Amino acid sequence: MSQETIWDRLQRIDRRVIYWLLFILLILPFLRPLGLPISISPQSRSLLEGLRKLKEGDVVVINISSGVSAWPECLPSLVAVSKVLIQQKAKIIYWTSFVDGHMTFEKIVEKVPGFKGLTYGVDYVHLGFYTGAEPTVAQLATNIRAIFTTDYKGTPIDQLPIMKGVNSAKDVKMVISSDTGDYGDYYIRQWRIPYGVPFAEIGIAMLFSNYQPYWPEIVFGMTGGAKGGAELEKLIGEPGDATVTMDAINTSHLLVVVAVILANLGYAATRRRR
Amino acid sequence: MAEVVRREVVYALTAIITVIMIADFFLAIPQVNAVAGELRTWATIISTMALTLGAVNIIRVHSRNVRKRVPGVWYHSAFLVFIFALVTLLGLTNIDNPSANPVYKWLFDHAYVSLGQTWYAITGFYIASAAYRAFRARNIDAALLLIAGIFVMLMNAPIGEVIWAQIPAIGRWFNDVGQVPAMRTFLIVAAFGLLAFGFRTLLGRERGFYGEVA
Repeated sequence: MSQETIWDRLQRIDRRVIYWLLFILLILPFLRPLGLPISISPQSRSLLEGLRKLKEGDVVVINISSGVSAWPECLPSLVAVSKVLIQQKAKIIYWTSFVDGHMTFEKIVEKVPGFKGLTYGVDYVHLGFYTGAEPTVAQLATNIRAIFTTDYKGTPIDQLPIMKGVNSAKDVKMVISSDTGDYGDYYIRQWRIPYGVPFAEIGIAMLFSNYQPYWPEIVFGMTGGAKGGAELEKLIGEPGDATVTMDAINTSHLLVVVAVILANLGYAATRRRR
Repeated sequence: MAEVVRREVVYALTAIITVIMIADFFLAIPQVNAVAGELRTWATIISTMALTLGAVNIIRVHSRNVRKRVPGVWYHSAFLVFIFALVTLLGLTNIDNPSANPVYKWLFDHAYVSLGQTWYAITGFYIASAAYRAFRARNIDAALLLIAGIFVMLMNAPIGEVIWAQIPAIGRWFNDVGQVPAMRTFLIVAAFGLLAFGFRTLLGRERGFYGEVA
């Protein structure tokens, strides 16, 4: 019977050890922040440049198709984008395809101090929840009132000053979608292509590669996960939740890379022995 | 005979609706646009009904589990039915704005949000463990994937740049030169596939949605 070497053991580290190591490495940065510099991707930069082109009174739609579970990834970008939109004096219409979307909206309002100086229903509004995936997104592009008759508080849409003269994609200057799934594709197909409405994507990190082929011609700007949020926070000069999260991302990514390299060293050594 | 007629009606309806939607996209004919708009509203209403149907189905399935005392399951089902009833009742106390009810809001803020984020965060632990166990350079292809994966991972974390200043540039090269063209090719091919699927549906040759293979 052959004796187990260190190379064999490297390939069979108990998963509980990995879990504990990851847990400790996620906690450490919160006790002692690393504060490593964050480089800016061209996609985040072009998102901010696109937002800066907006003029006072331009109507912007923010589609929330990410749930509360994705807050660590999507919320920082949503907050940063909302801050810039307020600076540009744009009118913001939020709506959501997630049942918990109103909580994301309320969290954005809570985290963006600029909303305090604005009036709900005049400068910004949340129209609420819609179902029906792509057909509904298509219908929103042609007739918003066919989907929403009231806002999420039950106020009739026609009593909201912000909605005066706004009923289709033609009345909207920009659409931004925060996604964990396919809704960005729906807005590309139903808003960006037929009506030419500039479109930007705020997605979880996994979606970044899905939308990268569309950048910059079809999707003018995008952020992926907490890293994208941290980049936007750096660009607007207001570090927030994502900047704090980046330290934990650094340590966790490093652990995975080191673990994979060690396992492969073990694998290569034992294969040569065989 | 009735089955054949019923099937043909479904095919005919599918074909008619497909033609209307295509015409709506390419032509500016007010009558067609109005009909297409009406159809889209119907689709939204039907999907809302499907959501209601889903809720009814959940209650039906879990109530049956409770009634039959299915071992190892029934108490989870009972809890689900209880929470479902509680949230529904709390929501109905203020139907225009359920968040105004403090108990409803507390449940969402302190149970739903925390549980949702915990569930999502746990996947990170599984991914770390799975990457360690599965990512092996067993052949050239796997080795290339491994190298690209490591560079892209380190590109996405600022620590990559600290380890070696060239890591983000190499990661971006894998991303821009490797991933983007492949993804674009995939998207174009998928679009052609969808087009072919659309034509087959239009011609009544694609019958999968009706529960049969043409």
